[in-house]
Amino acid sequence: MNPARLEFDAATATARAAGDWRVRDPDLARIAPLPEGAVRVLDGSGITALDTGGAWKLIASTVAQGDPGQLTLSGFGAPQRAILDLVIRHYGATRGAVGGRPPGLLAQFGRGALAVWRDLVGLLDFMGRLSVEWLALLRQPGRFRWRELGAQTQTIFVNAIPLAVMMLFLLGVVFAYLMGVQAQKYGANIFVVDGVAMAVTRELSPVIVAILVAGRSGAAITAQIGTMKVTEEIDAIATLGLSPWLVLVMPRIIALLVALPLLVFLGDVAGIFGGLVIAEHQLDISPSMFVDRLDSVLEPKFVWVGLAKAPVFAAFIGLIACRMGFAARRDARSVGENTTSTVVQSIVAVIILNAIFAIVLDYLGI
Amino acid sequence: MASETVLDVRDLATTLGGKTIHRGVTLSVARGEVVALIGGSGSGKSVLLREIIGLIRPAAGTITLLGEPVWPLLPERMARLRQRFGVLFQDGALFSSLTVEQNVATPLREHTRLAPADCLRLARLKLALVGLPADAAGKMPSELSGGMRKRVALARALALDPELLFLDEPTSGLDPVSARAFDRLLRLLADSLGLTVFLVTHDLDTLLSITDRAIVLADGRVLGAGTLDALKRIDDAWLAAYLSARANEGR
Repeated sequence: MNPARLEFDAATATARAAGDWRVRDPDLARIAPLPEGAVRVLDGSGITALDTGGAWKLIASTVAQGDPGQLTLSGFGAPQRAILDLVIRHYGATRGAVGGRPPGLLAQFGRGALAVWRDLVGLLDFMGRLSVEWLALLRQPGRFRWRELGAQTQTIFVNAIPLAVMMLFLLGVVFAYLMGVQAQKYGANIFVVDGVAMAVTRELSPVIVAILVAGRSGAAITAQIGTMKVTEEIDAIATLGLSPWLVLVMPRIIALLVALPLLVFLGDVAGIFGGLVIAEHQLDISPSMFVDRLDSVLEPKFVWVGLAKAPVFAAFIGLIACRMGFAARRDARSVGENTTSTVVQSIVAVIILNAIFAIVLDYLGI
Repeated sequence: MASETVLDVRDLATTLGGKTIHRGVTLSVARGEVVALIGGSGSGKSVLLREIIGLIRPAAGTITLLGEPVWPLLPERMARLRQRFGVLFQDGALFSSLTVEQNVATPLREHTRLAPADCLRLARLKLALVGLPADAAGKMPSELSGGMRKRVALARALALDPELLFLDEPTSGLDPVSARAFDRLLRLLADSLGLTVFLVTHDLDTLLSITDRAIVLADGRVLGAGTLDALKRIDDAWLAAYLSARANEGR
């Protein structure tokens, strides 16, 4: 190892470089730049090794933003001279500002607002196109892809059952337990049944299942369609005379519309069962008492309201997920960003829609 | 320094998924050479390249790269060895989340102690060396054409001033004009920077215009090596068809 050195002789305006000037040598970073405009002669007789990275550092340290063409070079061997000439010829490209300032708060806010606006417009555009495709399908119902619908229902509904049931069971347990702690103080144990039944069927099961499906299937749909776009599979589908809407979008959205109410119903059962287990162990309510009470307080309309929300959530999850998949650009980062965006948008949509449902249903007195 | 061996492969055998790919490949490359590895589809060219750069482990045989045995090699020594050679992958393999200049600056930031601003400036120098316009530096890889992407990938492969450059199908997917321009660029850089270049190619024009020597891989072995005239004397149906492919195209 022969560390790179750079010495300046002010009397002759000569910079003398010596040692190994190679980009990987750690000593290279320690070279201090000489004052700009001071060097007129660059002497390289002491240089033992030189590569383009080292040559660039040598030039940058001697002339900084100046013109390396003005330098008089001396003492360089022929191969080193060739590398140095190559670097000097292209040195102009390396001048100028490096790396912009990160955008300020206001700019970020503006960009964020613009992104939200674009997503909304994009979603509306997507819904319009999809409506036209539905009409086209109505005229030729035979073109529907039943096999694809079956495959999608398998992944979106059947494979999600264990997870949905387990989550709602645990939520039923926690909910009944926390309510039981309060109810016990007033000797109102039996009302836990009312609370669990209403909360699970009307709010918890639809919202939690929708969020679960948004994270699980929504992300999968965006990632899959986005990757198909990267590999030009979507173009291939169109070229083969098939409609990407028919092959990709409609089966997925219908599978979601079918899957979500069914999952919500299973979630209702699991959540109430969770409440039943806690009621027996903590509140001394026997299963038969629980079921008896359930029978008298759980109005069918609560269950229907919960089940009616599910397809609305499903439609939005499907629309957002398919649209973000098609909106992906042809690179890995874009697919990743859109997948994240799908999950965020779907969950926000589910929560907003649920709030709208609550207000409207209250207004209608249901 | 003349004819110092930088790459030496001896009796290499490879089995992937129960299929024998190489049965005794032996070849060597001297410093400063531009050598092409040719062979039919499925002859194991890309696999051989991946074994040489330490991505796939061969079943038997030795690979010596820049004086170091590649298999087995301790991870930290392999990491140091990897800084001494550059690889250009078939589709460029640029990082899609980084701009062009950040892509080229990545190896510099990881393996040198230069300041971040210096890394970016040096990246711009490399981009200029491979003939890209200055306004390309701030673009994202997805905004570039295939030929420009290859050039960026070449700039990244050259970032650490490697002694040895590996190229996998450097001109595939390029139109003939861009491909020839890329060939000329490779030869120019190889000559001016004193690089040793080892490339896997199908492109007969690349073979004819820039390489010093070609190695033919067939049937899991090295069928022959040498200049084009030497290859023409080898009696092999595939090779004869390959070398006459261009003559037929002209008619």
